[in-house]
Amino acid sequence: MAADTSKPLFPAAPHTSLLPSHGNPNRVSPEASYWRNFRSSELVTASNYPVTHLTFSPAHAKPTLAAVSFAAVQLFTGDPLAPRPKISVTKDFVFSPSFRSDGALLAAGDIKGVVRVFRVDKPTSGPLRTLRAHSAETRVVRYPVAGGDKIHLITAGDDALLAYWDVPSETPVFTVPAAHRDYIRAGAPSPADHNLFVTGSYDHSVKLWDARTGKAPSLSFSHGAPVESALFLPSGGLLATAGGNMVKIWDVIGGGRLVHSVESHVKTVMALALGKMGTTGETRLLSAGSDGYVKSFDYGELKITHSMRYPKQLLSVACSPCGTVLVAGSSKGDIFVRRRKKATEEEDEKVVSGVFDWTSPKPEKQALKPSYYRYFSRGQNEKPKQGDFVIERPKKVKIAEHDKLLRKFRHKEALVSALAKNNPRSVVAVMEELVARRKLVRCIGNLDVDELGFLLEFLHRNATLPRYARLLLGVANKVLEMRAEDIRSDGKLRGYIRNLKRMVVEEIQIQHTLQGIQGMVSPMLALASR
Amino acid sequence: MITGGQSYVSAPPAFSADGRLLLVCSGRSVSVFSTSTGMLVSELEGHEGDVTAVVVVPPPASVAKLATYCWTAGLDGALIYWDFAAAELVRKVHVGLPVHSMVIPNITRTVKSTEVHTPLAFVSVEDTSKAADNKKALRGQVRIYDLTKGRQVGCLLAKTRKPEKIVASVSGEFLGIANKRQLYIWSVPTEGFKPEKIRKIKLSHTKNLTTLAFHPSERIVAGGDSTGRILVWRAFGKAKFSGTAGAADDDRDGVRGQDDADTCTTLHWHSSEVKFLKFASDGAYLFSGGMEGVIVVWHLDSGKRRYKPRLGSPLMFFVDSPDSSISCVSCTSNQVHLLKMPNMEVLKTISGIKLPIASPDLSRRDVCEFDCTNGLVAIPTEDYCIQFYSLFENTEVSEVQVCERNFQPVDDITMSISLVSLSIGGDFMCTVDVKLPEEELGGLITLKFWNHGSRAGQFHLSTIIYEPHSDAGISAVAFRPGKNMAVSSSFGGNFKVWVQSSSLQSSEGKSQSGWRCQSVGSYKKKPMTAAAFSGDGSVLAVAAESVITLWDPDNNALVGVIAEALSPITKLSFIGTSTYLMSLSQSSKPQVAVWNASNLSMQWSYTLSAEAACCSSSKSEFAVLSLLSCPGGTPAEQDGVILLFDAENSSPVSSFSVKKAKGGSIAFVKDDSSMDADTNATRGEEASLLVYVNGSHEYVIFDPRNNEVSQISKHTQKNIQADEPARIGYASIYGELPKLEPKKEVSDIPFIPSERPWETIFTGSSHVLPPLTKLCSAFLASLLEKRPVSNE
Repeated sequence: MAADTSKPLFPAAPHTSLLPSHGNPNRVSPEASYWRNFRSSELVTASNYPVTHLTFSPAHAKPTLAAVSFAAVQLFTGDPLAPRPKISVTKDFVFSPSFRSDGALLAAGDIKGVVRVFRVDKPTSGPLRTLRAHSAETRVVRYPVAGGDKIHLITAGDDALLAYWDVPSETPVFTVPAAHRDYIRAGAPSPADHNLFVTGSYDHSVKLWDARTGKAPSLSFSHGAPVESALFLPSGGLLATAGGNMVKIWDVIGGGRLVHSVESHVKTVMALALGKMGTTGETRLLSAGSDGYVKSFDYGELKITHSMRYPKQLLSVACSPCGTVLVAGSSKGDIFVRRRKKATEEEDEKVVSGVFDWTSPKPEKQALKPSYYRYFSRGQNEKPKQGDFVIERPKKVKIAEHDKLLRKFRHKEALVSALAKNNPRSVVAVMEELVARRKLVRCIGNLDVDELGFLLEFLHRNATLPRYARLLLGVANKVLEMRAEDIRSDGKLRGYIRNLKRMVVEEIQIQHTLQGIQGMVSPMLALASR
Repeated sequence: MITGGQSYVSAPPAFSADGRLLLVCSGRSVSVFSTSTGMLVSELEGHEGDVTAVVVVPPPASVAKLATYCWTAGLDGALIYWDFAAAELVRKVHVGLPVHSMVIPNITRTVKSTEVHTPLAFVSVEDTSKAADNKKALRGQVRIYDLTKGRQVGCLLAKTRKPEKIVASVSGEFLGIANKRQLYIWSVPTEGFKPEKIRKIKLSHTKNLTTLAFHPSERIVAGGDSTGRILVWRAFGKAKFSGTAGAADDDRDGVRGQDDADTCTTLHWHSSEVKFLKFASDGAYLFSGGMEGVIVVWHLDSGKRRYKPRLGSPLMFFVDSPDSSISCVSCTSNQVHLLKMPNMEVLKTISGIKLPIASPDLSRRDVCEFDCTNGLVAIPTEDYCIQFYSLFENTEVSEVQVCERNFQPVDDITMSISLVSLSIGGDFMCTVDVKLPEEELGGLITLKFWNHGSRAGQFHLSTIIYEPHSDAGISAVAFRPGKNMAVSSSFGGNFKVWVQSSSLQSSEGKSQSGWRCQSVGSYKKKPMTAAAFSGDGSVLAVAAESVITLWDPDNNALVGVIAEALSPITKLSFIGTSTYLMSLSQSSKPQVAVWNASNLSMQWSYTLSAEAACCSSSKSEFAVLSLLSCPGGTPAEQDGVILLFDAENSSPVSSFSVKKAKGGSIAFVKDDSSMDADTNATRGEEASLLVYVNGSHEYVIFDPRNNEVSQISKHTQKNIQADEPARIGYASIYGELPKLEPKKEVSDIPFIPSERPWETIFTGSSHVLPPLTKLCSAFLASLLEKRPVSNE
């Protein structure tokens, strides 16, 4: 293709070849625009006790949220989330609600160490089973997620006891007393195998357990800080642990090798959750910290892609399996909800499996029919594929106001518009161009009083800058010589002249000082060169 | 002898009938360029004076587009008929007077009751019998020539002060010239032509008219005047009787006096003289252009304008191809831009050598710099570029934009490139551009160093130095042979030695080379007027007005002073590798002097007003271009003489007389060894040729020691290429159709499964074929390669 060889438009700019090239200003990444597209609201919880745990039911078609607040487990369902009757458990704190993989049952521990199992559809009918083994508060209650295991439950508590339950018989399959040397506050079942799960404790250690071998941990490694939360990433091969202000990604299959460590929070990271992006279907690791931020981490690219600010300290975070609702619980009893704005109907009706896919599914393409408007505009936003021959749209040249005016030979207006922009570079450029056109003197003569004020102010500010001094001092002289009458008659302009005078006096002083220094230095240089 | 540097814009070019070739008048020949590649295809050489008009004969309808015949007219008074595809001269008609313009309208004539196509040339000639100095004499004449018989037909159509440009309408019905404040239009009967039937129409205006154009289909004529107005007369020449046309009815808008037109409207955008006018082939638009370097497209009905800006220099002519898909516009900077028509995108540019910048200031000197090794000349242009022009190939090599500023048509030059200097090998370039101050405000002198790029004539900006000698002007810049060192001397009384420092670390970590000042020297505060390095680079000679000072460039130490010349020295040069110095003084007391640097004395000198001088790089000879002070000639056309001297001897070795020496320059260039290796070998030394570039940038290259003229031949021929035939009609829009094979006869012989069943398997009409599911397996099986099983 033959390029147009006619000359480009050279804008009036001084010394362009010496300027550093500027990169593009950062634009909002698609990821950030996705997360910003969430509309935030708040769920009504009548308490101001900390919301320590939030969890979504993995199996329900409509997002079903279980939140603990003080002595009850609150269930919310639907889109938008609507409260359902509370499950009052005890008179005391309740922790860690956990849905069974089919979403029919809900288990929760309490401050005494008792774990109760409820029916989700009949929350008020009292517990179905009561599991008693722990002697202190049970902060970890987890149903296995993989393999459709419906009868087992993992619990661990501040008494450092780990129990693997056979729920129907209310008896533990095995218990590990002193599984850790401190409170067990984190635990997660593996999405790959229903026998595997991890626990994390305040003794900094993270342990991987296998229900088939029991008793002894299969793997143990140290996080380096009290572990607040642990979570398997969807493949089951990677494990994320949170403790201190760090989130660490471990390769479990590779024997507990540290893959990556993220130190993006300022304060302690309290909770981890997986979030699925509705647009691309990719999953992100969400971490909530007591600094009030939820950060989205792309574990494929190993970088933070977005961070969301909340007004209060966060203790828990959860994202609905379909990715439409993001909730975060604060230490003051608030539950912040962010809902995607454009939740389409199909997305709601789609039965979403609770298991996060490791590979991102291709977004489905719906066939366009000629009856749609979009049919006729299809393919317009298509991105070029690799190997496609791209014909660039001619770049639109942005022309500054003063350049436009210069092109129309409206010289005075060009000077005034540059002065109004208050960018010394462009003002000097316009002046240089006017000199080249032999029009500067006439322009100065034509300025009215206000514009003259602009010019004098500009001269006051910039005339002594060494870069522009040679031109601007001459201009200042010329202005005074030509417009003496106008300046005398206007009080405001006299003020500018006073400023100018002061500046000149200062400059002369500086020059005197410099000359003194030069006088001192030059004999020394002469001596040195001898 | 090689000549070159002709102007391509002395006369309007012409397209061939198929629009693939462009015929451009270049000096005494017509150059034929391909419009698709912009390359020279052939040259028509036969005129003895400058060619002033070229007309492609509209082909008879039967052989459309294949005819490649044209008529050319020249100042030698000949009209020549060419077959330009074969570059053959077919016929010659003598007019006898210098022809300045010619049109050949398509006219038929009744001969023995049949219409015969008759080529009639309407020529505008200069009557040389009348004295040139008589301002009132009517020197211009418009005549008609019958080209088949080669004789004049009828009488003179008009007499004008000077020969005017004739314009014809597309149909050939109207011809016109702009004569002072009037348009003379002749209505010519296209059928049954007789000289008596020609009718003359006059349209008047109050300003001098410069150009005119006819509407392709209607009776509309547009005229441009010297103040930038465009007048459009509609329905001219409708009156039955001349002189009686509606003197009474007053409703004729804008038509003056008794002019024969209905209305006259004025379009005004141009601020100075309109140089060309042209109607688009459909008649809806009018193109105009002039000094501003902008093509203005007028929509005739609405008066709306579109522009094609930034063509770089004032425009001269505008011609469009017969199918109006391409048009070309000639600029005064010796360029012809080929424009793709509806959107006016520049397809190709045919660039000749840039013309010297016209300047009213006589003290300004035109600066050319020669790259002796590559045979290039660097010429500063009006739009702040430096053009590199290959002398041997007569083509533009490249253009380097020195100042980033848009071209604006101005009366006086406020910004210019005042000096160009190239190092011996052509690796570095140094330019000085000057912005003149307005009432002592904002003047700026900038010194720029450029590094050579990958191709010849390509330079990258390396260093910019603002005001290198504070506000004093720079008189000379010279590079040191063999080292990255340069010296700039200024009128402010000092000279600076610049070196290239490669240790400058940029932020990206790669080393950048920049130029910095190494030392400053001065001699008695005298203005430094010239500077030169010796051939081996060990001595720096700087002229402090009329005194020559010799310096050691490394230590900046004064080595010696040579006694005074008569007046300030403007050029200083070491002669070859010898110890002789040549100096040129160009003021009221001109002098050419040769000094001996070893004993610091004058060798010999002449009082000679020299325009330029150059020294051979190897031998001890130099050439001086001196002006002959002839009483009659105007200063611009002054003749000169090139004198070749040997430094040892004060008598010239040889001399050559040249024309247009004012503003000319000379240089020795190295011969391309590839051209005549055998002559090099016999001479046993480096062949160096002398280039003379005259005041209008035409040049000649010759061997100063050899009298055989045609030793070296031009090798532009290697560029000539036969481009592929252009697609026409359907193929030009949709591309070639695939060749349709004639249907094979289905033979009646029984079907035999062959080794390659895919050739036969699908033949036959679809209702005869077995179902595809069956065919598919057979077809796929046939594609698989059968390989003998060999298990060992």
